[in-house]
Amino acid sequence: MKFLHHIALILSVSFLPLLLVSCVTEDTQTNSVNGNFQALWQILDEHYCFFPEKSDVYGLNWNDEYTYYKERLSPTMTDEQLFDVCARMLRDLRDGHVNLSSSFNTARFWDWYEKYPANFSDSIQRLYLGTDYYLTGGIKYRILDDNIGYIYCSSFNNTFGSGNLSAIFSKLAICNGVIVDVRNNEGGMLTSAQALAECFTNQVITGGYICHKTGKGHSEFSSPEAIKLTPATGVRWQKKVVVLTNRRCYSAANSFVMYMKACPNVTVMGAQTGGGGGLPFSSELPNGWALRFSACPMYDKDMNPTEFGIEPDVSINMTQLDMARNVDTIIEAARSFLKK
Amino acid sequence: MFMKIFKILLFLFLCISPFVAAQEKPDSIPAWTQDNSFRTHATMFGIGHLNILDTYLSPEEYTGTQFKLMRENMRMTRLLNNRISVQNIIQGHFAYTKSPTEDGKQLSGMFGWNLTWHYNWSITPALHILLGPGMSINGGFTYNTRNGNNPAQARLSTDLNLSAMAIYKLHFWNRIFTLRYQADMPVVGLMFSPNYGQSYYEIFSLGNYDHNVCFTNPFQAFSINQLLSFDIPIYGATLRIGYLGSIRQNQVNHLKQHDWSNLFIIGYVKHFYLIKNKNYHHSQIARK
Repeated sequence: MKFLHHIALILSVSFLPLLLVSCVTEDTQTNSVNGNFQALWQILDEHYCFFPEKSDVYGLNWNDEYTYYKERLSPTMTDEQLFDVCARMLRDLRDGHVNLSSSFNTARFWDWYEKYPANFSDSIQRLYLGTDYYLTGGIKYRILDDNIGYIYCSSFNNTFGSGNLSAIFSKLAICNGVIVDVRNNEGGMLTSAQALAECFTNQVITGGYICHKTGKGHSEFSSPEAIKLTPATGVRWQKKVVVLTNRRCYSAANSFVMYMKACPNVTVMGAQTGGGGGLPFSSELPNGWALRFSACPMYDKDMNPTEFGIEPDVSINMTQLDMARNVDTIIEAARSFLKK
Repeated sequence: MFMKIFKILLFLFLCISPFVAAQEKPDSIPAWTQDNSFRTHATMFGIGHLNILDTYLSPEEYTGTQFKLMRENMRMTRLLNNRISVQNIIQGHFAYTKSPTEDGKQLSGMFGWNLTWHYNWSITPALHILLGPGMSINGGFTYNTRNGNNPAQARLSTDLNLSAMAIYKLHFWNRIFTLRYQADMPVVGLMFSPNYGQSYYEIFSLGNYDHNVCFTNPFQAFSINQLLSFDIPIYGATLRIGYLGSIRQNQVNHLKQHDWSNLFIIGYVKHFYLIKNKNYHHSQIARK
């Protein structure tokens, strides 16, 4: 029993320092003009993943941004005025994945496509698709009259099952080549983009790399890990493929193009993609405004950043003359390429 | 305020525990512990306030209502001359919480299993002190309804605990009322956590591991569960009312988590003897 007494004494002394341990809390800002601005700047300072790239390409200095916009605050300013200051600071990041959402407005940066030619007309594309196209998992597809398969994927918000994808490529199996059009696809689920890309490889390949922040510093990142594309279990495409892109290919669609560039027999045609090579996370300010920002940077198979977009193999723009004749210049170039 | 009260209680416990061991006498085994076929089963429902923080989901603290269901079994063993009791607690809780501005909502659920071995001392015929080690396994989730690629946090942890209990029996109106205080504190453990900015897409879709199993100890973040209960005998049954306070905290991978809850509990308790050899007992009764 003396032994137990000693054990109890040792335990008592051992845990006395615990009395000094405090509660685990986060140093949050107050719900005020200064507090909300400070919270916005600090969340991005600690979590945003593209400060090194934006500094190199645009000369962005996040500390200077704080100083510049802090001077534009006034304790008496309205919510809309505060939102405007915050929105202007966020625009300087030049990132389509950065949004601030309030009940009355959403701050955004859409220059990645708004300042460039559209290179897509849904009214012209409708003439190619017709009305009797096939539709599965949100993907529209048909065989064009020159025996070229045409697939239009407008979004990766849908989950593509193996059955959906096998049905598409079984139907197009008789074609001489296939066009995968992801123009105006603004993203969705990375898993869907990966599932579609895996229909174009017969072996495990590296489609790109991804990493994440490991601390609050601007350069604290994990080692990049390979994103492996494993061959789809259903029907896989073995002939030539052309992927059509424009500036409005963003986020998961940008990643799809990145994956496809690693696959064999693939040619990317059209315009540079819009980018969005960072997996976005969400957070919020003390006043309830929702914040979205890029958190996990992605790189292509050669470790080039994809945040600023991916160059096509063949650069083509839609011409005014073709558009006047209801001809899609980029689709026609892809058909010519596949018929060679 | 709550932390101050807790620190005072913890300090008192730490101060008296050596003396409790010193005062213990070989012949002071409580009568109710003499028979290891004695069982206590309690089922409890709790409701109260929860304050939850998870900086992976939001820097803001969410508050709301928590509901808890607990099942407790206690029995004596033959270990150390019938002085060791085993306490088995299975519990689950669900909570709905909101951000300070009520723009964000979180749902959380947790399931846990605690197994504790207590050494029993009788200080007086009415007062018993129990102290011992335990282990626990907890699993659950916290889901933020408006987040995108970081919508939820998976919770999975296992701990080795130190547990202390004081039981005081009061006699009123020829009935025995039981006042009990119990404190359980994890002293070492393992828990799952994504890394600071790691997405669940990387962990589960790509299978990328990055310090996702973390070592925990009370010096990095202190946790404790406290239960104060009062058992009231009513017409052959026993009603239990009480307070359950839980401070669960973690600080790993530069991420902070806390779950602070204060619950009112109500439940019923059953005391009974387990008859292991039914034929033997019947034959003894027949002879008498």
